[in-house]
Amino acid sequence: MFKKRKDIIIILAFVMIAAIFILNTDFKSVDEYYLEHAQDVENADATVFISIKCETILENIEDLDRNLILLVPKDGIILPQTEYALRDGDSVFDILVRTAKTHKIQMEYSGGASSSAYIEGIAHFYEFSCGELSGWTYLVNGEHPSVSSASYELSDGDVIEWVYTCEVSRDILQGGAANE
Amino acid sequence: MNDRITFANFHPVSLFFYFAAMLVFTMFTQNPVLILFSLVGASLFSAATSTREQIFADIKFYVPVFIVISLTNPIFSHSGATPLFFMNDNPVTLEAVLCGVDIAAMISAVMLICKAFSKVMESEKLLCLFGKAAPKLSVVLSMSLRFIPLFKRKFKEIKDAQKALGYFKSGSFSESLMSNARVFSALVTWALENGADTADSISARGYDVGGRKSFALFRFKKRDAILMTITLVLSSVTLVGFLLGKADFEFYPYITQINTDALSVILYAAFGSLSLIPFIFEVKEALHWKYLRSKI
Repeated sequence: MFKKRKDIIIILAFVMIAAIFILNTDFKSVDEYYLEHAQDVENADATVFISIKCETILENIEDLDRNLILLVPKDGIILPQTEYALRDGDSVFDILVRTAKTHKIQMEYSGGASSSAYIEGIAHFYEFSCGELSGWTYLVNGEHPSVSSASYELSDGDVIEWVYTCEVSRDILQGGAANE
Repeated sequence: MNDRITFANFHPVSLFFYFAAMLVFTMFTQNPVLILFSLVGASLFSAATSTREQIFADIKFYVPVFIVISLTNPIFSHSGATPLFFMNDNPVTLEAVLCGVDIAAMISAVMLICKAFSKVMESEKLLCLFGKAAPKLSVVLSMSLRFIPLFKRKFKEIKDAQKALGYFKSGSFSESLMSNARVFSALVTWALENGADTADSISARGYDVGGRKSFALFRFKKRDAILMTITLVLSSVTLVGFLLGKADFEFYPYITQINTDALSVILYAAFGSLSLIPFIFEVKEALHWKYLRSKI
C-alpha cells in the first residue's frame, strides 16, 4: 500500500500533526489538578476577598433545571467570603480559577485567561440554567465592571463577589444602583 | 416493489406512520433504555434485509462513526460532577463520556431508521402518499432519498472507467488518494449537470401542470389496518409515558437513575415492541418460507 517516498512523507506529516496536538495538550489527573495552587494561598503581602453566591436562584427556583434543584445551597452561598493572596497582575478571573481549584468547586469557562474569559458555569450552575436571562457575573467592591473578568486587574483589599443573575444583572444591581 | 423485504409490502400510509413514530420518539429522548431498543430494532431489521457483504460494510461504517461521535462529546462538553482527568485545565467527565455514547447510539439509530425508511418506501410509495397534497415536496423527497445510492453507483462507474485508462495502477497510497479526488470531482460535475437535466425533463413532461392523475396499485387491506392499529396503540402508550415524564433522563450534572416503576416498564415494553415490529415481520416470513420448503 505504501510504496513511494511521497507516501512516507504524507504519513510522516500526519504523524507530526497528531504529535503536535497531543504534545500541546496538557493531561493531569484529578489530584494533580486540585493540588496545583494550594501552596500559593498563604503568606502574601496583598490579599483580596472573594465570595460566590447564587441567592437569585432561590427567588427564581421555579425556572431552575429540575436536576439541579438538589444542588442549590440553602442560603444561596456557594463560597462565603474568603481571603486570598494577590500576586502581581492577577485578574478577577485568575483568582476565581485558583479559588475553584482550592475548594474543588466545579467550573467551566471559554476564551481562556488571556483577555476574554467567559464563565459558563460554576458549581454545575450554567448560563441559562435558571431561565433564559441567567448566567454568572461579578462585582468588585459592590460595583459592576464593564470588562471581562480576565482584563480586570485587582489591587490590595478588593472585594470580589461572583453572583448568579437570573435577569442579565438587573436583579443583582438593584442594591448597587441605589448608591450611584 | 421490493420483493426481498416483507415489511415493504404494507400500505404506504401504515409504513409512513410507523417510521414517523419511530423517528420522533428516538430523536426526542435521551433515555438510554429507549435508545437501546431503537438501535437494536433498527440494526436487526437492517441485518435481516441485507446480504452478508452489506452487513460487513455497514459495520465498517457505523462503528467508526459511533466511536468518533462518542469521543467528541467529552472533548467539548466539560459539565458533569465526576472528573476523570483534566485536559488543558478542563475536566473530562464521566457524565460527558456516557452522554457521548448515548448521543452516538441515538444518531446511529436515527441513521439506521432513515436507511430502513428509504429501503422500504420507494418513490412510488412516496408519490402515492404526498403526490396530490404536495407534488413538489414528494418529488424532491423521492429524488433526494435516491441520491446517495445513485452517487455510490456512479462513483464506482467513473472509477472503473479510470481504472481502464490506467489510473490506480501503482498501488501507491498518495496516488490513489489523488485519483479518488479526481473521480470525486468528476462525480460532482456530473451530479450538478444531472440535477439540471432531471429538472428540465420533469417540467418538459408536464409534472405539476394540473389535471394530471396518477395511478397507484396500493389497496388498504386488513393487515395494513392491523399494522396501523398496533402502531397507533403502542405509540400512544409511549407518548403517554413521555408526557408523564417516565422517559426523562438527564446526564448533567449527575446521571439520573433509570426509572423502574410499573409505568416506566410498560413504556419500555411498548416502545421495545414498536421498534422490533419490522424485524418480527421479516423473521416470521423467513420461518414461514422455510416451513413451506420443508414440506416439498
